[in-house]
Amino acid sequence: MHIFKKILLALLIVFIAIQFVQPARNKNGLVEPVDVTKAVSVPENVKMILQTACYDCHSNNTNYPWYTYVQPVGWILNNHIINGKKELNFSDFGSYPIRRQQSKLKAIADQIKDGEMPLYSYTIIHKNARLSKEQKALLTDWAQKAKDSLDKINP
Amino acid sequence: MKKITMIISAGILALTFTACNSTGSKQTNNTDSATMPSVTTTSPAIAANAKPADGILTGYINLKNSLAADNGSDAAKNGQEILDALSKFDASALTPDQKKVFLGLVGDIKENSEHISENGDKIAHQREHFEMLSKDMYDLLKATGTSKEMYLDSCPMYDNGKGTWLSEMKEIKNPYLGNKMPTCGAVKETIK
Repeated sequence: MHIFKKILLALLIVFIAIQFVQPARNKNGLVEPVDVTKAVSVPENVKMILQTACYDCHSNNTNYPWYTYVQPVGWILNNHIINGKKELNFSDFGSYPIRRQQSKLKAIADQIKDGEMPLYSYTIIHKNARLSKEQKALLTDWAQKAKDSLDKINP
Repeated sequence: MKKITMIISAGILALTFTACNSTGSKQTNNTDSATMPSVTTTSPAIAANAKPADGILTGYINLKNSLAADNGSDAAKNGQEILDALSKFDASALTPDQKKVFLGLVGDIKENSEHISENGDKIAHQREHFEMLSKDMYDLLKATGTSKEMYLDSCPMYDNGKGTWLSEMKEIKNPYLGNKMPTCGAVKETIK
Protein backbone atom coordinates (compact mmCIF):
# COMPACT_ATOMS: atom_id res chain seq x y z
CA MET A 1 0.00 0.00 0.00
CA HIS A 2 2.87 2.27 0.84
CA ILE A 3 4.43 1.73 -2.58
CA PHE A 4 1.09 2.35 -4.24
CA LYS A 5 0.88 5.72 -2.54
CA LYS A 6 4.39 6.60 -3.64
CA ILE A 7 3.61 5.75 -7.22
CA LEU A 8 0.53 7.91 -7.12
CA LEU A 9 2.50 10.75 -5.68
CA ALA A 10 5.13 10.39 -8.42
CA LEU A 11 2.40 10.36 -11.05
CA LEU A 12 0.89 13.46 -9.52
CA ILE A 13 4.23 15.26 -9.64
CA VAL A 14 4.74 14.27 -13.28
CA PHE A 15 1.21 15.39 -14.07
CA ILE A 16 1.77 18.79 -12.50
CA ALA A 17 5.19 19.17 -14.12
CA ILE A 18 3.93 18.52 -17.64
CA GLN A 19 1.35 21.28 -17.25
CA PHE A 20 4.18 23.76 -17.64
CA VAL A 21 4.94 22.54 -21.15
CA GLN A 22 2.22 24.24 -23.14
CA PRO A 23 2.48 24.05 -26.93
CA ALA A 24 2.15 27.28 -28.89
CA ARG A 25 -1.45 28.07 -29.76
CA ASN A 26 -2.54 27.74 -33.36
CA LYS A 27 -4.48 30.97 -33.52
CA ASN A 28 -3.48 34.07 -35.43
CA GLY A 29 -6.98 35.54 -35.76
CA LEU A 30 -6.35 36.58 -39.35
CA VAL A 31 -8.11 35.88 -42.60
CA GLU A 32 -5.06 35.71 -44.79
CA PRO A 33 -5.01 36.90 -48.41
CA VAL A 34 -4.43 33.28 -49.41
CA ASP A 35 -7.45 32.04 -47.43
CA VAL A 36 -9.70 29.53 -49.19
CA THR A 37 -12.53 32.09 -49.31
CA LYS A 38 -10.32 34.31 -51.50
CA ALA A 39 -9.32 31.49 -53.85
CA VAL A 40 -12.72 29.98 -54.61
CA SER A 41 -16.25 31.05 -53.89
CA VAL A 42 -17.45 29.81 -50.49
CA PRO A 43 -21.13 30.39 -49.64
CA GLU A 44 -21.90 31.50 -46.09
CA ASN A 45 -23.56 28.20 -45.05
CA VAL A 46 -20.56 26.21 -46.26
CA LYS A 47 -18.21 28.57 -44.45
CA MET A 48 -20.10 27.93 -41.21
CA ILE A 49 -19.67 24.16 -41.56
CA LEU A 50 -16.00 24.52 -42.42
CA GLN A 51 -15.50 26.66 -39.34
CA THR A 52 -17.18 24.31 -36.89
CA ALA A 53 -16.12 20.96 -38.34
CA CYS A 54 -12.81 21.53 -40.15
CA TYR A 55 -10.95 24.66 -39.12
CA ASP A 56 -9.79 23.37 -35.72
CA CYS A 57 -7.21 21.19 -37.48
CA HIS A 58 -7.17 22.56 -41.02
CA SER A 59 -6.62 26.29 -40.57
CA ASN A 60 -4.44 28.75 -38.70
CA ASN A 61 -7.24 29.37 -36.22
CA THR A 62 -8.12 26.64 -33.78
CA ASN A 63 -10.97 27.05 -31.35
CA TYR A 64 -9.55 25.76 -28.06
CA PRO A 65 -11.89 24.28 -25.42
CA TRP A 66 -10.71 24.56 -21.78
CA TYR A 67 -9.44 20.98 -21.50
CA THR A 68 -6.89 21.53 -24.22
CA TYR A 69 -4.96 23.54 -21.64
CA VAL A 70 -4.54 20.35 -19.64
CA GLN A 71 -1.62 18.20 -20.74
CA PRO A 72 -1.19 15.73 -22.34
CA VAL A 73 -4.50 16.54 -24.09
CA GLY A 74 -3.09 19.74 -25.53
CA TRP A 75 -0.03 17.93 -26.90
CA ILE A 76 -2.10 15.33 -28.65
CA LEU A 77 -4.34 17.99 -30.10
CA ASN A 78 -1.28 19.92 -31.21
CA ASN A 79 -0.05 16.88 -33.12
CA HIS A 80 -3.41 16.55 -34.83
CA ILE A 81 -3.25 20.20 -35.85
CA ILE A 82 0.28 19.86 -37.25
CA ASN A 83 -0.70 16.78 -39.28
CA GLY A 84 -4.02 18.28 -40.30
CA LYS A 85 -2.46 21.48 -41.56
CA LYS A 86 0.19 19.55 -43.44
CA GLU A 87 -2.50 17.72 -45.39
CA LEU A 88 -4.75 20.70 -45.90
CA ASN A 89 -4.72 24.23 -44.55
CA PHE A 90 -7.72 26.33 -45.53
CA SER A 91 -5.89 29.47 -44.39
CA ASP A 92 -3.13 28.79 -46.95
CA PHE A 93 -5.26 27.24 -49.64
CA GLY A 94 -4.74 30.07 -52.14
CA SER A 95 -0.96 29.65 -51.99
CA TYR A 96 -1.14 26.06 -53.28
CA PRO A 97 -0.35 25.46 -56.95
CA ILE A 98 -3.63 25.24 -58.82
CA ARG A 99 -3.28 21.49 -59.37
CA ARG A 100 -2.93 20.94 -55.65
CA GLN A 101 -6.02 23.07 -55.06
CA GLN A 102 -7.96 20.92 -57.52
CA SER A 103 -6.74 17.70 -55.92
CA LYS A 104 -7.53 18.99 -52.44
CA LEU A 105 -11.09 19.88 -53.39
CA LYS A 106 -11.59 16.41 -54.83
CA ALA A 107 -9.99 14.87 -51.73
CA ILE A 108 -12.29 16.91 -49.48
CA ALA A 109 -15.35 15.51 -51.26
CA ASP A 110 -13.89 11.98 -51.25
CA GLN A 111 -12.99 12.04 -47.56
CA ILE A 112 -16.43 13.25 -46.55
CA LYS A 113 -18.19 10.74 -48.80
CA ASP A 114 -16.03 7.93 -47.39
CA GLY A 115 -16.84 9.09 -43.85
CA GLU A 116 -13.14 9.53 -43.05
CA MET A 117 -13.47 13.19 -42.18
CA PRO A 118 -14.13 14.79 -39.74
CA LEU A 119 -12.13 12.25 -37.72
CA TYR A 120 -14.22 10.00 -35.50
CA SER A 121 -11.99 10.75 -32.51
CA TYR A 122 -12.72 14.44 -33.04
CA THR A 123 -16.47 14.14 -33.39
CA ILE A 124 -16.79 12.09 -30.17
CA ILE A 125 -15.80 15.19 -28.26
CA HIS A 126 -16.98 17.88 -30.68
CA LYS A 127 -20.62 16.97 -31.11
CA ASN A 128 -21.31 19.99 -33.31
CA ALA A 129 -18.70 18.71 -35.79
CA ARG A 130 -20.86 15.69 -36.53
CA LEU A 131 -22.20 16.34 -39.99
CA SER A 132 -25.76 15.55 -40.96
CA LYS A 133 -26.51 14.00 -44.33
CA GLU A 134 -27.56 17.42 -45.62
CA GLN A 135 -24.40 19.10 -44.36
CA LYS A 136 -22.28 16.43 -45.98
CA ALA A 137 -24.11 16.92 -49.27
CA LEU A 138 -23.67 20.67 -48.97
CA LEU A 139 -19.92 20.32 -48.45
CA THR A 140 -19.33 17.76 -51.18
CA ASP A 141 -21.42 19.78 -53.66
CA TRP A 142 -19.46 22.88 -52.81
CA ALA A 143 -16.11 21.11 -53.19
CA GLN A 144 -17.22 19.71 -56.53
CA LYS A 145 -18.42 23.08 -57.80
CA ALA A 146 -15.29 24.84 -56.62
CA LYS A 147 -13.20 22.20 -58.36
CA ASP A 148 -15.22 22.59 -61.55
CA SER A 149 -14.55 26.32 -61.50
CA LEU A 150 -10.80 25.64 -61.26
CA ASP A 151 -11.01 22.95 -63.94
CA LYS A 152 -12.21 25.67 -66.31
CA ILE A 153 -9.01 27.65 -65.73
CA ASN A 154 -6.73 24.60 -65.62
CA PRO A 155 -8.31 21.64 -67.44
CA MET B 1 -4.61 12.93 1.51
CA LYS B 2 -5.56 9.50 0.29
CA LYS B 3 -8.85 10.71 -1.06
CA ILE B 4 -7.21 13.59 -2.91
CA THR B 5 -4.60 11.36 -4.52
CA MET B 6 -7.33 8.97 -5.56
CA ILE B 7 -9.34 11.74 -7.18
CA ILE B 8 -6.33 13.14 -8.96
CA SER B 9 -5.18 9.76 -10.20
CA ALA B 10 -8.69 9.09 -11.47
CA GLY B 11 -8.44 12.40 -13.31
CA ILE B 12 -5.11 11.41 -14.83
CA LEU B 13 -6.54 8.09 -15.90
CA ALA B 14 -9.52 9.77 -17.50
CA LEU B 15 -7.27 12.13 -19.39
CA THR B 16 -4.96 9.40 -20.61
CA PHE B 17 -8.02 7.51 -21.73
CA THR B 18 -9.25 10.45 -23.81
CA ALA B 19 -5.73 10.75 -25.11
CA CYS B 20 -5.47 7.14 -26.17
CA ASN B 21 -8.86 7.34 -27.73
CA SER B 22 -8.03 10.18 -30.02
CA THR B 23 -4.91 8.53 -31.37
CA GLY B 24 -6.29 5.01 -31.23
CA SER B 25 -8.83 5.38 -33.98
CA LYS B 26 -6.38 7.07 -36.30
CA GLN B 27 -5.25 4.83 -39.07
CA THR B 28 -1.61 3.85 -38.68
CA ASN B 29 -0.36 1.54 -41.32
CA ASN B 30 2.97 3.03 -42.22
CA THR B 31 4.75 -0.11 -41.15
CA ASP B 32 4.06 -1.75 -44.47
CA SER B 33 5.77 0.87 -46.58
CA ALA B 34 8.44 1.57 -43.98
CA THR B 35 9.70 -1.97 -43.56
CA MET B 36 9.32 -3.05 -47.15
CA PRO B 37 12.43 -2.70 -49.24
CA SER B 38 11.65 -0.51 -52.20
CA VAL B 39 10.95 -2.64 -55.21
CA THR B 40 12.58 -1.63 -58.43
CA THR B 41 11.05 -3.04 -61.54
CA THR B 42 12.76 -0.29 -63.52
CA SER B 43 15.45 -1.44 -65.85
CA PRO B 44 18.50 0.78 -65.53
CA ALA B 45 19.13 0.74 -69.27
CA ILE B 46 18.66 4.21 -70.67
CA ALA B 47 17.00 4.34 -74.04
CA ALA B 48 18.39 6.61 -76.72
CA ASN B 49 15.28 8.74 -76.55
CA ALA B 50 15.12 8.80 -72.75
CA LYS B 51 12.81 11.43 -71.31
CA PRO B 52 13.12 13.05 -67.89
CA ALA B 53 9.87 11.57 -66.57
CA ASP B 54 10.67 7.97 -67.56
CA GLY B 55 11.44 6.83 -64.00
CA ILE B 56 8.24 8.29 -62.62
CA LEU B 57 6.28 6.87 -65.53
CA THR B 58 7.62 3.36 -64.92
CA GLY B 59 6.44 3.55 -61.32
CA TYR B 60 3.10 4.87 -62.49
CA ILE B 61 2.61 2.04 -65.01
CA ASN B 62 3.45 -0.56 -62.35
CA LEU B 63 0.97 1.13 -60.03
CA LYS B 64 -1.74 1.14 -62.68
CA ASN B 65 -1.23 -2.61 -63.25
CA SER B 66 -1.29 -3.38 -59.52
CA LEU B 67 -4.58 -1.52 -59.14
CA ALA B 68 -6.01 -3.28 -62.20
CA ALA B 69 -5.09 -6.55 -60.42
CA ASP B 70 -6.84 -5.32 -57.23
CA ASN B 71 -3.54 -5.59 -55.37
CA GLY B 72 -3.34 -2.78 -52.82
CA SER B 73 -0.12 -3.84 -51.14
CA ASP B 74 1.74 -3.95 -54.46
CA ALA B 75 0.19 -0.61 -55.34
CA ALA B 76 1.63 0.77 -52.08
CA LYS B 77 5.10 -0.38 -53.13
CA ASN B 78 4.62 1.21 -56.54
CA GLY B 79 3.63 4.45 -54.82
CA GLN B 80 6.99 4.34 -53.03
CA GLU B 81 8.65 3.61 -56.38
CA ILE B 82 7.23 6.84 -57.76
CA LEU B 83 8.46 8.73 -54.69
CA ASP B 84 11.95 7.28 -55.18
CA ALA B 85 11.94 8.24 -58.85
CA LEU B 86 10.71 11.70 -57.94
CA SER B 87 13.58 12.23 -55.51
CA LYS B 88 16.02 11.29 -58.28
CA PHE B 89 14.30 13.48 -60.83
CA ASP B 90 16.69 15.92 -62.48
CA ALA B 91 14.74 19.13 -62.95
CA SER B 92 17.84 20.93 -64.25
CA ALA B 93 17.49 18.99 -67.53
CA LEU B 94 14.18 20.71 -68.21
CA THR B 95 13.50 23.79 -70.30
CA PRO B 96 12.10 26.79 -68.36
CA ASP B 97 8.59 26.06 -69.64
CA GLN B 98 8.81 22.39 -68.69
CA LYS B 99 10.20 23.34 -65.32
CA LYS B 100 7.25 25.58 -64.66
CA VAL B 101 4.83 22.74 -65.37
CA PHE B 102 6.89 20.34 -63.28
CA LEU B 103 7.01 22.67 -60.29
CA GLY B 104 3.24 23.07 -60.46
CA LEU B 105 2.79 19.30 -60.33
CA VAL B 106 5.58 17.94 -58.14
CA GLY B 107 3.86 18.62 -54.81
CA ASP B 108 0.67 16.94 -55.94
CA ILE B 109 2.47 13.92 -57.42
CA LYS B 110 4.36 13.51 -54.17
CA GLU B 111 1.30 13.81 -51.98
CA ASN B 112 -0.83 11.45 -54.04
CA SER B 113 1.99 8.88 -54.15
CA GLU B 114 2.46 9.17 -50.39
CA HIS B 115 -1.21 8.46 -49.77
CA ILE B 116 -1.06 5.48 -52.12
CA SER B 117 2.07 4.11 -50.47
CA GLU B 118 0.62 4.50 -46.97
CA ASN B 119 -2.77 2.90 -47.63
CA GLY B 120 -1.97 -0.59 -48.87
CA ASP B 121 -5.04 -1.92 -47.08
CA LYS B 122 -7.43 0.66 -48.50
CA ILE B 123 -7.54 0.20 -52.21
CA ALA B 124 -10.57 2.48 -52.67
CA HIS B 125 -8.59 5.29 -51.13
CA GLN B 126 -5.56 4.46 -53.28
CA ARG B 127 -7.77 4.68 -56.34
CA GLU B 128 -9.04 8.12 -55.34
CA HIS B 129 -5.46 9.34 -55.28
CA PHE B 130 -4.59 7.42 -58.42
CA GLU B 131 -7.26 9.40 -60.22
CA MET B 132 -5.57 12.68 -59.25
CA LEU B 133 -2.14 11.26 -59.92
CA SER B 134 -3.23 10.22 -63.42
CA LYS B 135 -4.12 13.81 -64.18
CA ASP B 136 -0.73 14.96 -62.93
CA MET B 137 1.03 12.33 -65.04
CA TYR B 138 -0.89 13.34 -68.14
CA ASP B 139 0.15 16.97 -67.74
CA LEU B 140 3.73 15.98 -66.97
CA LEU B 141 4.03 13.79 -70.07
CA LYS B 142 2.41 16.45 -72.21
CA ALA B 143 5.07 18.90 -71.07
CA THR B 144 8.19 16.73 -70.93
CA GLY B 145 7.40 14.07 -73.53
CA THR B 146 7.45 10.31 -73.23
CA SER B 147 9.89 7.73 -74.55
CA LYS B 148 7.10 5.24 -75.19
CA GLU B 149 3.71 5.71 -76.72
CA MET B 150 1.05 6.08 -74.03
CA TYR B 151 -2.72 5.98 -74.18
CA LEU B 152 -5.14 8.10 -72.22
CA ASP B 153 -8.04 5.86 -71.20
CA SER B 154 -11.34 6.79 -69.67
CA CYS B 155 -14.02 4.78 -67.92
CA PRO B 156 -17.61 6.09 -67.76
CA MET B 157 -18.38 3.83 -64.80
CA TYR B 158 -16.00 5.45 -62.32
CA ASP B 159 -16.47 8.87 -60.68
CA ASN B 160 -19.07 10.06 -63.20
CA GLY B 161 -16.80 9.35 -66.12
CA LYS B 162 -13.99 11.47 -64.70
CA GLY B 163 -11.82 8.46 -64.03
CA THR B 164 -9.03 8.62 -66.57
CA TRP B 165 -5.67 6.87 -66.58
CA LEU B 166 -2.60 6.36 -68.72
CA SER B 167 -1.68 3.00 -70.17
CA GLU B 168 1.28 1.61 -72.07
CA MET B 169 -1.00 -0.69 -74.06
CA LYS B 170 -4.02 -0.23 -76.30
CA GLU B 171 -5.89 -3.02 -74.57
CA ILE B 172 -8.05 -1.78 -71.68
CA LYS B 173 -7.19 -2.96 -68.18
CA ASN B 174 -9.25 -0.92 -65.78
CA PRO B 175 -7.31 0.18 -62.67
CA TYR B 176 -10.39 1.65 -60.95
CA LEU B 177 -12.77 -1.29 -61.15
CA GLY B 178 -10.22 -4.13 -61.33
CA ASN B 179 -11.71 -7.59 -61.66
CA LYS B 180 -15.22 -6.26 -61.29
CA MET B 181 -15.12 -4.71 -64.74
CA PRO B 182 -11.64 -5.23 -66.15
CA THR B 183 -12.33 -4.05 -69.69
CA CYS B 184 -14.52 -1.04 -69.02
CA GLY B 185 -13.17 2.00 -70.79
CA ALA B 186 -11.88 3.33 -74.07
CA VAL B 187 -8.79 5.01 -75.46
CA LYS B 188 -9.35 8.74 -75.69
CA GLU B 189 -5.99 9.98 -76.82
CA THR B 190 -2.58 8.73 -77.88
CA ILE B 191 0.39 10.52 -76.32
CA LYS B 192 3.67 10.33 -78.18
